[in-house]
Amino acid sequence: MTSATSTEQAIELELQSVSKSYGKNLAVKSITASIPQGKVSVIVGPSGCGKSTLLRIISGLDFPTQGSVTFNGAPVRGVPEGLAMVFQDYSRSLFPWMRVDRNIGFPLRHISADERRQRVQEAIDAVGLKGKEKLYPWQMSGGMQQRAAIARALASHPKLLLMDEPYASVDAQTRADLEDLLLDIHATLGVTVLVVTHDIDESIYLADHVIALSAPPSVVAETVEVDLPRPRNQISTKQDPRFVELRAHVTSLLRSH
Amino acid sequence: MRLLRDPLSQNKTIVLGVAGTLGVLAMWELLIRSGAVSKPGLPVPTRVMAQAAELLGNTVFLNQVFTTIGEWLLGLGVAAIAGILVGGLMGAFPAVFVAFEYPVEAFRTLPSIAVGPILVLLLGAGVAPIAITVALSSIWPILLNTLYGVRGTDPTAVATARTLGVRPLGLLMQIRLVSALPFAFTGVRVAASIGLIVTVSAELLIGSGQGIGGYILLASTNAGNLDGVYAATIIAGVLGVLINAAFALLDRTAFNWKKGLAQ
Repeated sequence: MTSATSTEQAIELELQSVSKSYGKNLAVKSITASIPQGKVSVIVGPSGCGKSTLLRIISGLDFPTQGSVTFNGAPVRGVPEGLAMVFQDYSRSLFPWMRVDRNIGFPLRHISADERRQRVQEAIDAVGLKGKEKLYPWQMSGGMQQRAAIARALASHPKLLLMDEPYASVDAQTRADLEDLLLDIHATLGVTVLVVTHDIDESIYLADHVIALSAPPSVVAETVEVDLPRPRNQISTKQDPRFVELRAHVTSLLRSH
Repeated sequence: MRLLRDPLSQNKTIVLGVAGTLGVLAMWELLIRSGAVSKPGLPVPTRVMAQAAELLGNTVFLNQVFTTIGEWLLGLGVAAIAGILVGGLMGAFPAVFVAFEYPVEAFRTLPSIAVGPILVLLLGAGVAPIAITVALSSIWPILLNTLYGVRGTDPTAVATARTLGVRPLGLLMQIRLVSALPFAFTGVRVAASIGLIVTVSAELLIGSGQGIGGYILLASTNAGNLDGVYAATIIAGVLGVLINAAFALLDRTAFNWKKGLAQ
């Protein structure tokens, strides 16, 4: 299996021996990883391995106990510009007092109303929520709420899209649809994507490379390059012998560490 | 076969409710008129109703009602602003909470109406001591509801706002206070009812013959007009019901989105 040697790639995000402890409890132990620009990277690991902690540190919501995060060439201290986060819990992440269009326009509150309207519309079209602009989040299904959350993240034209278990609370069919939506958006906009998930199939289906974390205190078990062709397809990609092989490999990585 | 707990149709509900109320009033009337209960000063429903109808057509009395509404609104307004401000700060900042926790607990248990006479001594009789008494009694549900509303703001909503570049002051004003508003408004609703009761009581105790309370006081002492006392009391009660209905309507229209708050 090939290890990541993405030297020829421009690096969007760099983690340097990042560790995080809460009191005596070491959640994340010395994680070093590079997220290449314009690619889909997926961090996969067992529950409680500190994946969400890691995303909170990358997004500047939390600070590492040791080590550093560099985004876009600058060290992360507080929430950086050019980064958008999609949370697992869409129903809590969308503001319930705002209709869908205002929720999506919220990151653009400092630009002119005309430009804002246009960019909100673009984001709504990109995620297929046309006609739902005037609904409140709680008037929509879970899948549509997560689409709205993704649209809000896209509206700010981020360089880096972070997603924390984005599909963990939706049904299987919606999940497949949203995975394909993400791949479409990535193919169209070329944004750098970093997804955190516990689902091995999902990680391989989405990723250009998979960063497999061990059980806590977590370290990077291995970075696995996913050489499956794009565009990917829920049926044929998942039947590809290479997919099956990669899945077996990542599964063994999560088991053995 | 009909189930025992089949829900009643809306028409039936109305008919039964009206019939029950009228029935109780009619029995009451009958008890007094027949002499079965004879104690001077008991209200006779038809006479009280007639007196109430007369009062509602009387501009002098209607002015008293508006005086009461004015004092109540002033007190409630002050309570709402102060309660949301202090409650919001207490909910957002643990240091403010710790600093104000004991003063709030101490003042909260104080019977505000007992402060009335002191306020009259300090400020002189008039609208001010009554409005302040009302504010002192109605601030607590607003303050406490806002406090717990702000404190209970969904951490995911706050984290989301932070990733969208909202700074600490914005987090308080745009996220935490806004998401606490339905709770604060419930506090205002509760305070509105308490405030009206306190307004009329304060008019009785420390007023200068103004407002509904002032009318009740004059009717009971000077003229011994007991029907007037009963009628004005009922009108004050109906006013409370109307105010509550108006606030409920406002709640449904302005804060309908609260269905979306994760519980």
